[in-house]
Amino acid sequence: MSSVMKIENLQAKIGDKQILKGLNLELEPGKVHAIMGPNGAGKSTLSKALVGHYDVELTGGDIIYKGKNINEMEPEERALEGIFLSFQHPVEIPGVNNAYFLRTALNAKRKHEGKEELNAAEFLRLMRDHLEMLGMKSDMISRSLNEGFSGGEKKRNEILQMLILEPEVIILDEIDSGLDIDALRAVSEGINKMKDGKRSFLVITHYSRILDYIEPDYIHVLKDGRIIKTAGPELVAQLEEHGYDAIEEE
Amino acid sequence: MNLLELKNKNLQEVNALLGIKDRDILVERFCALGLPSKKSEEYRYFDVKKLLEPEYKTLNYVPKTPKTSDKVEIVDGVVIALPKGMRVYNDACQMIDMDHFDPLYYLGHLLSPQTIKIELDGDVEVEIEHRFTKSDALINYRIVLYNQANRHATVYENFISDDIENTLVLYGYDMHLAQDSTLRVVKMQSMQDAGYGMVASHKVNVAKNANAILKSFDLGGDQALQLLKVELAERAHVDAGHLLYLNEDSKRGTVSQIVHVGEHSTSKQEAKNILDGKSRGIFDALIRVEHSAKYTKAEQNSKAILLHEDAYMAAKPQLEIYIDELEASHGATTGQLDRKQLFYLQSRGISYTEARKMLVIAFANTLIEQVKDTRQQERIKASFEEAFYKGNM
Repeated sequence: MSSVMKIENLQAKIGDKQILKGLNLELEPGKVHAIMGPNGAGKSTLSKALVGHYDVELTGGDIIYKGKNINEMEPEERALEGIFLSFQHPVEIPGVNNAYFLRTALNAKRKHEGKEELNAAEFLRLMRDHLEMLGMKSDMISRSLNEGFSGGEKKRNEILQMLILEPEVIILDEIDSGLDIDALRAVSEGINKMKDGKRSFLVITHYSRILDYIEPDYIHVLKDGRIIKTAGPELVAQLEEHGYDAIEEE
Repeated sequence: MNLLELKNKNLQEVNALLGIKDRDILVERFCALGLPSKKSEEYRYFDVKKLLEPEYKTLNYVPKTPKTSDKVEIVDGVVIALPKGMRVYNDACQMIDMDHFDPLYYLGHLLSPQTIKIELDGDVEVEIEHRFTKSDALINYRIVLYNQANRHATVYENFISDDIENTLVLYGYDMHLAQDSTLRVVKMQSMQDAGYGMVASHKVNVAKNANAILKSFDLGGDQALQLLKVELAERAHVDAGHLLYLNEDSKRGTVSQIVHVGEHSTSKQEAKNILDGKSRGIFDALIRVEHSAKYTKAEQNSKAILLHEDAYMAAKPQLEIYIDELEASHGATTGQLDRKQLFYLQSRGISYTEARKMLVIAFANTLIEQVKDTRQQERIKASFEEAFYKGNM
């Protein structure tokens, strides 16, 4: 099956430090790819590189998305084309109303797709079901974006954005960090709802816990800036037992 | 009239130039402080010479019988309309501050011996609209605003101008908040190509247990400076907030002195400044805590966002403290929009330009949302967005 995103020999640095050193990865449509690896391996740098974060400078290689090289594409264009990153640490933006922000983002996407923009009432109707499913209080959408949210609330808000924006490639950076069991379950339910056999997921995680809820199709081990092993979900147990040091590069 | 002629003049000369007599104490204060120039500490960041040097027409202030309106309408310094039952009349100001730091406070009083006196003797909301219609004119007037004891009043202040040019407005308030009263004053001024420059020099006396909430929203271009002195008696409180949005080559801002005189008095001063183009924002603010003001709490903060590399913020927060028993803090930050926040919005498909606007409006909204009345709040938001969008088309 052809890939929706192909990452070829990707090299990237943050500041003076080379982090990604020739990373290769293909995301298949409808599949869940989990990236696991030790601290400092380059997992978050990879997620930032895919969405065009200003911290990351690409020094080589290509990111091909739907057949097009997106190395130079602006972050908002990538988002409009369907790439979504759920941030590990979502920023707080006092004064920007959560609902207003989400409606602006959704309408930007709808406009990009040649669809009619939604008015406030239509948008609230759309959101109501998602809020209930994620266990989010309705007042969270009238508050400032992420301001004063707990860690769990911030992650639920990221998933709410994902549900509303319906992206095609979904990158989840440490989505399980800081979540209690209930929040983890709600967040996982939101993610699983998006699994429709067409969307691709890139789940970046330290631990296997989230993978009990979102069943991966592939496990990729990222170490020292490169993918050193790709296998099926059975690799998780091996990693749990022996750790990353025991993995030999293929 | 050429105001620069008042430079370095003595009492007799000023009396002769202004055609006044029997007001020597005020003239002496004016002479002692001197006509403001670039060398004056309070005016060093403001191009006052540009406003003082033109030859201005002086106006004859002939009181009119005000018609009934839903607001106080002041046209070129004359009250032309009033809400029914409201007590507004012309009278000499009996409570001029003899220790004000601003020479133009005294010049204003010298040029306007009859002030517009407004008595707020109920729990009322009043709108005051200032309108300027004359070009090349010096429009000077002063307002005495008296808030009775135990009363809780709100004043919304707006400014409009006809198609005028090269006019200077010297105006200001002497506000008196009697014991246990609350006065909210919300000033909204949008001055893009307004055709006038302004120096507004105020004095606010806040009596025991009284509460002054002063919020000003200054938007757009041109030259304007507000100079504010507040005196706080025992357990009096002032909350002074100032939003500034400047573009092009405008120079605007606030010079203030908040003086804690009574014990347990409290003050909060917050300035938010958004500067674009080659504009210059001014926040020169002093909090003075006198020996008598034990257990004072004072808080002062200025934040500025520079949207252009040529924009400049002159922020000078200062504390002058004569006692140990107090809590006081002050600070000023100047920077650009938060890159992380910008990126977060962009990562959801919002363009850089739109994201920038959202963040600027959000920065302003934290102050605008302190205005309690929803209708006024929406009006200020709309004015801000209009001014900002106009400057960013």
